[in-house]
Formats: sequence, structure tokens, C-alpha cells
Amino acid sequence: MMLRTEQLCKRLDSFCLREISLEVARGDYYVLLGRSGAGKTQLLEVICGLTLPDKGRVLLDGEDITRKKVQDRGIGLVFQDLALFPHYSVKDNIMYPLRLMKLSLKEKVERVQRVTEEMNITDLLLRKPANLSGGEKQRVALARTLVTEPKILLLDEPMASVDASLKDSIRRMLRRLNRNGQTIVHVTHDFGEAVSLASRVGVMHNGSIIQEGTPAEVFNYPVNRFVARYAGFKNFFRVTFIKSYDTWSCISDNRTTFRLAKGEYPSSGLLIITAGEVLVSRQGAAGVQINNIHGVIDDVVPSPTGYEITVIAGDKFYADVTHREMEVQKFVAGEPVIVSFRPESLRLVGNGEDKKEY
Amino acid sequence: MKGHSLFNWVFAILASLVLLFIIAPLAGMFLDSSLGEMRSTAADPVVRRSVWYTLVIAFAATLLFAVGAVPLAWIMARRKFPLKNVVQGIIDLPVVLPHTAAGIALLGFLSRDGLLGGAAQKAGILLVNNGAGIALAMAFVSLPFLINAARDGFAAVPERTEKAALMLGASPSRIFFTISLPQAWRSVVSGFIMMFARGMSEFGAVVIIAYHPMIAPVLIYDRFNTYGLSAARPASIIFILVALIFFVLFRVLATERREIFRREDDATY
Repeated sequence: MMLRTEQLCKRLDSFCLREISLEVARGDYYVLLGRSGAGKTQLLEVICGLTLPDKGRVLLDGEDITRKKVQDRGIGLVFQDLALFPHYSVKDNIMYPLRLMKLSLKEKVERVQRVTEEMNITDLLLRKPANLSGGEKQRVALARTLVTEPKILLLDEPMASVDASLKDSIRRMLRRLNRNGQTIVHVTHDFGEAVSLASRVGVMHNGSIIQEGTPAEVFNYPVNRFVARYAGFKNFFRVTFIKSYDTWSCISDNRTTFRLAKGEYPSSGLLIITAGEVLVSRQGAAGVQINNIHGVIDDVVPSPTGYEITVIAGDKFYADVTHREMEVQKFVAGEPVIVSFRPESLRLVGNGEDKKEY
Repeated sequence: MKGHSLFNWVFAILASLVLLFIIAPLAGMFLDSSLGEMRSTAADPVVRRSVWYTLVIAFAATLLFAVGAVPLAWIMARRKFPLKNVVQGIIDLPVVLPHTAAGIALLGFLSRDGLLGGAAQKAGILLVNNGAGIALAMAFVSLPFLINAARDGFAAVPERTEKAALMLGASPSRIFFTISLPQAWRSVVSGFIMMFARGMSEFGAVVIIAYHPMIAPVLIYDRFNTYGLSAARPASIIFILVALIFFVLFRVLATERREIFRREDDATY
């Protein structure tokens, strides 16, 4: 493992990091996902040495760097607010760390040339940071850190100061950096960023990492309601499971009965289903023989991809409907409908162990 | 709109009265002095010498004490430590002390029997009735202006830029000189000018430490005591004009520096 933290603990004024153990392999793109205040930035600061932990260790390439000087760790950090030096030009910002290194002038020039070309900022070198756009500042801050050739690059909310239209190009750039071998730990609150960039994801909440794995593992099989919400799930049902011969079904707290796919289930648990897998129709969805539940449309709200329809059918169901389908069906609030879904679409959260509500 | 207009008028009149209160005595002094009097006073070597002493000693005191005052300002802006409020109170103390009382306190410290004065005498330096003593008296009463202005300047520097420099491999001293000080520079220069101006105009503390060599405020007092108002007035005018010239000059230099930075910024577009 390239970076490993072992049971890191840090108590701050009104908050603490609890027993954080994570592993980042060489070449990984590790995304730490969590709401603001979850402790993501504090964890980065402990890893890079700006804050010392109360307990635990930080290891980089097998070496214990917990008490090592910040300057000697070989870790690069790009702050959320970028922290460019306002009194220096872009070139001087990038040259700043090189002036501290024992390198030949030729090597310094080569490094500056390489990162400025890589970040596409060669025409900005004489400008002051105040005269740069959010995206340009982001690229300069990255270049200033990359020029030190860090073993591992830590990014604190790198898209925070970038317009939505520029986020794609920053994402592409980060992916390219990672493809070229740069190990990255990226902190964000944005689920979309995590999905599009991560090779591994750690979800943080209240100073702890509550789930870790590949994006597919974490977002398809969340261990609790909090992670499921982050992954975009809106349909949650607390149920009691019933086995009748070889067939499994369950009954929700609101007395709705669902048929389940084959498998093994505990006595009770939390079921989830994505809004995209819930179908709304007037006569029952074609091809869905079971799990057709009668209800009434409670609300129809526009969404980025079409509309989100809320149906009260014992429980509350959220369903995504495309623009095209809406043009045909013209669903309205108060209308009786049928919600349908396949048994395979229902997923059990955390093997039924999720008891904690977040 | 009517209420708004009345508000503007009332505030304009009140503000004008305060400005008039500052300008009127100075203008009166200028109007009551003839050009001939001014010319002969300006040519008086005693007056010239005292003005020169005042400028040089005030500048030297400011420069010398800035070496310690600027680091103190940085510590006050960046570090948390026990009794920090008490330290801030100590820094502000000279502002609230009667300056003659400050002079008396300093005299005990700088005289032959005093801690510093005794040590200086062993090294062959007399601090009382000496330029060095005057510089110390000027610095004592004017230091808060530099320390507080510089402290505000350092506090306004984004701490993240200092942390970023640390992450990029810089040592604390390098961060101070390349990141913190350049960003707080305007406030430090402004505090420097204020300390210089305040030190230059000090009378109360200086007159107790050193009547001679005579700095301008002491000379003006001496002329007034010995020859009366008409003799003190031209010397006052000369000193005010010289002080104003230097004050404006420093301000312009500091602004020029800002303008150069701004033009550089614009030119990059």
C-alpha cells in the first residue's frame, strides 16, 4: 500500500476523527465522500502533517511519517480555496517550491514547462492570480503542487471554485493525471464527482469512514441509509421478511407487501430501490407480473432528466419519468396509478444490520 | 427623500464643524505670520538643526524598533498563547499614558541609576540629554501605531497561503519573508509612517529625557516660553510644513508602490 492510516484519532474543538484506517494503493484514485463537517478536510490535514493526530499512525510507502516534518513528507495538497500567492505571478507561484529544491536550472525550467503544458496554462504565466478565472486558478494551483512531483496528491474539494461548465474539463484533467500514474486522494461532498473519478470510495460521516470499496460496491450495496441517500436512493422501506415454501416476500411497516427475488434474508431489514427502477402506469407496467401496487400520485416535480413522481401506495414511492414518457402519459397529482418494480430491483441495505438512522 | 436630504445636511454640517476645528487654528497661525518672519526663521541655523534632528531621530527610532515590532505584530496576529490580552494591553499602554508620565518612567530607566542608562554608561553612552534617549522616548510613545497596524495587516493575510507555502517545502522564516510580509506590506508601511509621524511630534516624553539637543517640538516650546507667541509661531509653521512634506512623501511612495503593483496586474491582460 502506498498510503495507510492506522486508527487515526484527532479531537478538535467541536469535532473528532475516530479511528480512521484507510489504504490507498499506488495509482489509486481514492475519493473521500461526505457532507461538509464530516471531517474530510481534517483527515487530509492529518495525513499531510498540518495537524498532528492524538492517536494512530500515517504510513507512506511503508515509512511511518506521523511525526515527520510537513516539508519532508513528499505529499502535495491543493486546498479548497487554492491558496495561490496573490503577490506572485503564475510563473512565480509555480517556481516557488522549485526555488527551495536543489535542482539545476535546466531541470527547474523543464519541470515548469512540463506542468504548464500539462495543465494548459502556458499563456497565463505572467498574470497575477487576481486576474484568473476559477478554472485557471484551479489549474495553476494543481501545477504548483505537481511541479514538486509529490508521491501522492491530496485534493480538497477541487471543483468547489469551478463553474459547472468547467467541471468536465477539470474532471478529464484529473483522470488523465491519474492514468499517468499519479496517486490521488480527492475529498468531495459531490456523489457525481465520486462516481466519475474514483477507483475506490470511502464515505465519511461524523469523523468516521462508514463504508469503503469500489464505487459499484459502495453505491449499489450501501451499508446503511446514509450511504444509500448519498448514492441517490430515495425509496426506503423498513420491512419484516417472510418465507413461504421457497418464496420470499416481506411486509413493510406501512403494511405494504413486496415479493422478493430468490436469496436469503434476515428476519427484518431496510430495503431500497432506485427511483429509476420504479415504474408508474395506469394499467400496470408491461412485463412486470408481480409487485404492482395501487396508489395515488402525490406530486409531480421536474428533475434534470424529466420528472420525479411521488406516489402514495401504502408507502411513499419515488419514480423517475422521462420527458418523452410524460408527454405521452401526462400524469397529474391526485390521479390513481400503479407502481411496479421487479423483485430483483429491491436491495437489502447492510445485510439487514442497519439500525442506525442518519 | 426629504428625510434623507435632511440627514445628509445635518451630517455634512457636523462633519464640516469638526474639519473646521482642525483647520482653523492652523490657518490662523499661517495668516498671522508674515512671509519675512517665516523666511528669517527658516534661515535660522538653530531651527534648521532642530528640524533635522527631529526627522533623523524619529526615522532612526522607527527603523530600529521596527526590527522587533514587526515580529511582535506577527506573533500577535498568528499565535495563541496564555495572557495574550495582557500582552495586547501592554502594547497599547503608551497610548493611554500621559506622555509626561511616560517621560518620567523612562527617565528612571534611562538615567545613570536606571537599568538601561547604567548599562549604557558603562559602554560610554549617555542616554539622557542625548539623541539616543530622544529616540527611545519617541519610540516608547509611538510603537503601538506600528505594532497594531502591522498586526492587523498580518491578521488579514490568508493563513491558507502560509500553509500552502509550508506544504510546498518552505521553512517558517521563508514563509514569513516571502508570503506573510509581502502580503501585509501595506499595513506595515502604513504603521511605519504613523509611528514616524507620531514620534516626530512627541514633546511630553522627550522634554523630560532631553531638553537638549533640541528637537523641533521642544524648540517651539522654548521659543514660546522665552520670546512669546510671535516667536514660536514661525518655528511651528516651518516644522508643520516639513513634517507634512515628509508625511505626504512617505504616503505617496507607499501609494506609488501599490500603483506599480496594480499596473503590473493590468498589463498582464
